[in-house]
Amino acid sequence: MTRRAVRWLAGVAALAVLLAYPSLFGIYFTNSFVTFGIFALYAVSFNLLLGFTGLLSFGHAMFFGAGGYGTALALTHLKGLPLLPALALGVAAALALGVLLAPLMVRISGTAFAMLHLAFGQLMYVLALKLRTITGGEDGIGGFPIPPFSVPGVLSVDMKTPANFYYFAVAVLGFSVFALWFVTKTPFGCVMVGVRDNPNRVAYLGFRVPHTKAVVYLLAAGSAGVAGSVFAMFQNLVSADGALHVFVSFAPVQLTMIGGVGSFFGPILGSAIFGVISELTSRYTERVELVSGAILILVIMYAPLGVIGMWHAARARARARFAPRGAAEPAR
Amino acid sequence: MNLPRQALTLVVLASLLLFGVADAQAAQAKAAFDPDKMADMSDFDPNKPVIPTGDTIKIAVVASFSGPAAVVGQIYFISVQWAAHDINKRGGIMVDGKRKLVEVIKANHASQPAETKKVAERMVLQEKVNVLWGTDGSHLMKIINQVADKYKVIAQSASALSDELYDTTNFSRYSFMSSFSTEQIGRAIGFYYGKIRKKEKKFYILGQDYLFGHSLADGFKKGLKEYYPEATLLGEDYHPLFMKDFAPYLQKIKASGAEVIFTGDWIPDAENLLVQARQMGIKLPFANLFLDEPNMLHRVGVDGTTGLVHVSQYGAEGGAFKTPGQIKAYKAWNTLWKTKWGPPYNTRLYEHGTGNIGSYIQQTYWLLSVIERAGSTDPEKIIKVWENDSYQLLNGKVLTMRSCDHKAIQDLHVEEYVPPAKQRESFNIPPYFWYEGTSSVGPSVAIPARYVLPKMDKSLARCKDKSEAGE
Amino acid sequence: MDPTTAMYVAQGLHGLAYGMLLFLVASGLTMVFGMMGILNIAHASFFMLAAYFSYQVLAFTGSFWLALLLAPVAAALVGVLCERFLLRRTHAFGHLGELILTVGISLVILEGVKVFWGTESLPIHVPPLLEGRLALGGLDYPIYRLFVIGLALVVLGVLAAVLYTTRLGMVVRAAVSDAGMVNALGINVPLLFMFVFGMGTWLAGVAGVAIAPILTVFPGLADQMGMDAFVVVVTGGLGSLWGAFLVSLILGELNSYGVQFVSQLAPVLMFLFMAIVLAIKPMGLFGERE
Repeated sequence: MTRRAVRWLAGVAALAVLLAYPSLFGIYFTNSFVTFGIFALYAVSFNLLLGFTGLLSFGHAMFFGAGGYGTALALTHLKGLPLLPALALGVAAALALGVLLAPLMVRISGTAFAMLHLAFGQLMYVLALKLRTITGGEDGIGGFPIPPFSVPGVLSVDMKTPANFYYFAVAVLGFSVFALWFVTKTPFGCVMVGVRDNPNRVAYLGFRVPHTKAVVYLLAAGSAGVAGSVFAMFQNLVSADGALHVFVSFAPVQLTMIGGVGSFFGPILGSAIFGVISELTSRYTERVELVSGAILILVIMYAPLGVIGMWHAARARARARFAPRGAAEPAR
Repeated sequence: MNLPRQALTLVVLASLLLFGVADAQAAQAKAAFDPDKMADMSDFDPNKPVIPTGDTIKIAVVASFSGPAAVVGQIYFISVQWAAHDINKRGGIMVDGKRKLVEVIKANHASQPAETKKVAERMVLQEKVNVLWGTDGSHLMKIINQVADKYKVIAQSASALSDELYDTTNFSRYSFMSSFSTEQIGRAIGFYYGKIRKKEKKFYILGQDYLFGHSLADGFKKGLKEYYPEATLLGEDYHPLFMKDFAPYLQKIKASGAEVIFTGDWIPDAENLLVQARQMGIKLPFANLFLDEPNMLHRVGVDGTTGLVHVSQYGAEGGAFKTPGQIKAYKAWNTLWKTKWGPPYNTRLYEHGTGNIGSYIQQTYWLLSVIERAGSTDPEKIIKVWENDSYQLLNGKVLTMRSCDHKAIQDLHVEEYVPPAKQRESFNIPPYFWYEGTSSVGPSVAIPARYVLPKMDKSLARCKDKSEAGE
Repeated sequence: MDPTTAMYVAQGLHGLAYGMLLFLVASGLTMVFGMMGILNIAHASFFMLAAYFSYQVLAFTGSFWLALLLAPVAAALVGVLCERFLLRRTHAFGHLGELILTVGISLVILEGVKVFWGTESLPIHVPPLLEGRLALGGLDYPIYRLFVIGLALVVLGVLAAVLYTTRLGMVVRAAVSDAGMVNALGINVPLLFMFVFGMGTWLAGVAGVAIAPILTVFPGLADQMGMDAFVVVVTGGLGSLWGAFLVSLILGELNSYGVQFVSQLAPVLMFLFMAIVLAIKPMGLFGERE
């Protein structure tokens, strides 16, 4: 069988598992998968900035939160709003915030970028707590109606059923991740990496660095908004602690570091690993901090490039040992 | 005894005559906790809980068992497990034609909204629990109630106090609030100052800046308006949660000339507020909900705690111990605390098994009594019994479940904190004081239920043509 | 002084006291960042650890002064161990790894504190010598808070003296601005890093002990203080001691007078200030390094 055929088969098998997942694993793990998917997209959107453009954000939660609050507010105040427009409004909120901040943010990088995001992220957080009449303060906005997925006159699928929501979420999140992956494979993706590695040279080549940064920034903001919007509908709640807290900003940093910062799929792997760990700790121990703290320390000490980095290193070693001399170069 | 104290006692007696003795309700209770039936608890150890498995009645205690607020989970667990242990030693409860033991499961929500939903769903879907018991934080209880409503299991709100949990948008017929609630707490303090104490007139509100803090303050303002129109409110401030320096707020309050500070703050805010006030030489009394934790009280000592006014859901008019059964139950707990339990359950916090812990224990007994009388773990049957049910607690207090919005109608108690020598007024058995190193409950008066009926949301269809008393 | 003036003066002093405490915490954080490039998330955890250590020393000896002497040193010792055996080994993999490492350390410290001292809050009293209040022309101010202001000033003075008059201080300052160059001059930079990290945690430790009688010592103490310290360091300019000093005082006063005049906005003011400063000067007031 050719490599291509194997890939196709694997793809079809993965799709089949995804389709059958709710009936195979039951409601609880179906919901766990949705949570994983949301954080995977959120982490990927973060890594688009860090891994591909070299911009570290300590305030990515503000886009996640903007998506969540946008959708929640829309569903609370606009009666009869359908599902997809609600999602779109959430994403629009995140994008609007991105457009607002982009002119400032594209001119800086490194520590300043990280800190300015921390600052604005915290400002958003305290504002969400403070503007109680709009945001519901500490309690957040909850109990808003979740519209069915409907094509007028054709079908209407109830989104309160966990399995139905799962299909909706997996479709939306999966498409977003695919779209981001696709962008990294285009020529534009190469320019992004160029901006990370040597912005001056990119500028000499005639590409406009701030414009490139702005586009990446908006892509990251928008896709974090998708994750936040789906999260709000999934939880039927959006709150300052759950969507804007500095821990929510740190979450993708951790997920990305655990999975592997250099790779597109690292954050997804990180989310999966983290999901499994939190599933285990919540069942078997009350020492949650000890376990997650120890894992972070161990990963940084012994696998500083994340699990994917560790795997690449192991594979390179194995090749160097078993392959004939000169064949250790990566396959093309 | 000095003169003002006598005067106060007279006022208390007079008000008793006026408003009728709270115990009058007791006779009507449909069921009661009977201390004589209590099992021998001498083998109870919260660190080595005996938890049955298999075909049991399952109660999930959803709380923070990790993180900075882990102490809250510990308090809930020992309380619920105490009641479960007792019932199990009596042989369990007859449900659906079978005697079943009570299994208590810890469910850690880590104070996180997303985690709360996840763990509550795991409890329902995988552990198949019958009851979700919760929790610290109304915003988290709201999530638990949503899960209960979605999967049709019973939820008991024993310690999240916001009225909003049972308004039109949030009400679920599967959830029952057996605790007191924000508006009635605030009103009870208003009533106390206006109708019973009639002394201080100038008040200042300092609360936490979130729904709970504002709801309490609104209740207090309503109470003052209803029961104490002569009083003036000099100001109100709301500080962010986990505030560090309260000095600026306190300085402002001091300058305002207020005589009483009303606060619903919980620890650590409550502790920082009290300690910093006393350090600044501000001796004003706090009319409070959570300034009853003994570690905190000992930090400011007898002087710093005298005159605090505390509203309690597990108080008693006058002496706390009225029947031999009550004394026996108290001693069962206190002896074990003295002799048996290791950390973290051997600190002052767990000494008495009364107060909030007493309330959580008794609320759990109510739940178990309802299940027993329903003769089933079927939620529909439980709902049928619990609505309109009334239950007499160990200390004689009666809780009645208002059927239309599932809130408990109950007398509340307002307690004044006095030095150890005077605590015998409340702690009426040897050694005649609650704590030797701090002021604690002395004179305690009942605020009759009809003056502080829990808030009812009239737009809730089920309550449309009901009176607040539930008729 | 009439009561109104007294109130304004007292508010100013409250702001000063809190600002000084904030500076003690932030100074260590900004030094460590300036020199090592590490944004130490665990910094506030060492602050909390020192508060718990001081409880322990008090429980054994009953002396607050001994606690003030020993607890920060003990915290610094833990800090030095973390630097030597954890941070140094991951230095080669970049700052992001170190940042995540310090997140891990802070979580482990949180758990450790709960294991050793339980989950309840611990009582620490103002030492008898500093109890009570000072009455001064209509002003009635707690002596302990004045002591805190004084303590911070003394520490600041010693710090400035060491940094600006000694050879060690000169080397540290040089390393803060360019560690590579200092290394090239033949100075043992890893040892210097360890020293600075220890000094940073010691400063946080002093703040931890000083604040323990005012603030509740419970496992959430670090979370409570951490964000404020970050705001100070970031706004003042990463690595700038004077920036941290200035911003600490500004935030302290902003808090006091904010509560006095616009109480409902007080919590927002701090972050608004940070956002505005950073929008104009992305590296902070006195920050230069990228």
